[in-house]
Amino acid sequence: MMRFLGLAGAVAAAAVLPEFLPPFYVRVVQFFFFSAALALAWNIMGGFAGYWSFGHTVFIGMGGFAAAHLVTALGLSAGPVQMVTGIVFGALFCGAFAAIIAYPILRLRGIYFAIAMLGISQVVAELANNVSWVKGDVGLFIETKLPGDIAPERFYYYVFGGLLLVTALASFLILRSRFGYGLLAIREDEDTAKMLGVPTEKLKILGFVASAALVGMLGATYAYSLGYFTTGSLFRVDFSLNMIIYCLIGGIGTIAGPILGAAVMLFLTQVVLGGVLELHLLVTGAVVVVIVLSMPDGIMGLLGSLTTRKPATPPAPASPEVAR
Amino acid sequence: MTATPILSGRDVTKKFRGLTAIDSVDFELQEGRIYGLIGPNGAGKSTLFNLVTAYYPLTTGEIRYRGERIDGLPTYRLNQIGIARAFQISKPFPAITVRENVRVGALYGVPGPRDVDAVTEDVLALTGLGEMADRKSGGLPVGNLRKLEIARALATRPKVLLADEPCAGLNPSETSDMMECLRNISRRGVVVWLVEHDMRAVMGVCDWIYVLEAGAKIAEGNPQDVVRNPRVIEAYLGVAPPAAAEETA
Repeated sequence: MMRFLGLAGAVAAAAVLPEFLPPFYVRVVQFFFFSAALALAWNIMGGFAGYWSFGHTVFIGMGGFAAAHLVTALGLSAGPVQMVTGIVFGALFCGAFAAIIAYPILRLRGIYFAIAMLGISQVVAELANNVSWVKGDVGLFIETKLPGDIAPERFYYYVFGGLLLVTALASFLILRSRFGYGLLAIREDEDTAKMLGVPTEKLKILGFVASAALVGMLGATYAYSLGYFTTGSLFRVDFSLNMIIYCLIGGIGTIAGPILGAAVMLFLTQVVLGGVLELHLLVTGAVVVVIVLSMPDGIMGLLGSLTTRKPATPPAPASPEVAR
Repeated sequence: MTATPILSGRDVTKKFRGLTAIDSVDFELQEGRIYGLIGPNGAGKSTLFNLVTAYYPLTTGEIRYRGERIDGLPTYRLNQIGIARAFQISKPFPAITVRENVRVGALYGVPGPRDVDAVTEDVLALTGLGEMADRKSGGLPVGNLRKLEIARALATRPKVLLADEPCAGLNPSETSDMMECLRNISRRGVVVWLVEHDMRAVMGVCDWIYVLEAGAKIAEGNPQDVVRNPRVIEAYLGVAPPAAAEETA
């Protein structure tokens, strides 16, 4: 109940916040909503199931391109129907693509999966750039018509705020469900999970599709917010890395963690270091190193250890196959 | 041996390239009993369990559950039809609590209506893990890790429990607790098949024992017969004692 009230309070505060912020900061918070939602979506596979993707930006790009091409092909005129159609299609397209690549790619574990995803994101970005009808090199327009006379930064502030809420709610429901426990078991020890009746292959595919679809939804929305985009504006390696960093900083595998991580890092990079662009990356890198070294379980881990005594370091998982 | 065995294997063979790890082993488990599987290190005990639970495919032979072929089914399906396994090397889910570990088994395992909370609490109580249920399993001492292996497997509501050295690393009093726990599990109608090095423990609890050496079954029988079997003594001691050697010949 307390949590619910806290959430309701936060939502209400976020709803009135743009009244008090100059447009630049509205845009910063809007980007925070987008980034936190991306990190949460990555966290479903990376945090719950332990499958770290280094190429999740592929779904931002595919979501954006799929949305733009569909609404253009359908000849929909700018408006709410056109926007919702594009966003939903972006999500579905990414979900379908994830389902197709899931079978070969989810057989890989650990660093191999991470690198395979990095490779896929690079390959798809190259294709978007070089296959002429995709138009990733010259760029695509995706029109929007804002309701009334609302300023674009405020409109997307609310849209991304809503999508963050959707992603957080989806994560919460997954984590609390049987599906979520199955993903945790996969993260902790996939072979043992099988022995407890967890259909690991099926759950991994479902988790991957859910994560991809959410990122696709966010990517399509991001494309709308840009209005015009090329391959380089959506297939950005820094997007892939930031999703991971926000989760690490905040607390991987939790719900609040990725949101907190995005908040801390964006406050630091956009607000505190906004004036010193030449030092910006250097300081950011140093901060990430310090935080990861001093708080291996992120901010949430630190908060947790303040309330409960920390257990000893978990032993390294052993391999069952060699045991006799 | 009249009723259809709950779990049986015939000509179960596993070759790794040239090495025959399990050589044409037959077994037959009936309901209501506790079985043992013993043999020197490297005899293939865990390999046999790995075959039953489909971590490895069989080279030849067949495994049946209640008369139905089950070799070839994936591991998670075997658990869902009622075969659970506790690993020799404890494999807890270290970053989540003991209760959550057990809950995974209760949420998955054999399908069908059940009260997940009730199953979880019941199994925690049965294995004596209630007090540490909210601790992260990564920090547990070895005795409790063994209990957790059993608890988690049991939460899947199995009909057959393969327990791979549940007493490894336990002191004598913990060992007797574990044996008592296995007896209780058996009383609940679960067929227990136990790999164990502690001979006293095996002798005390098992109704029937299979003996493996170098992948082949060299003996089976009730505990009293098995310990007197010269081939078993030879396998364990390396040479047959003189008196037994004559009997063998």
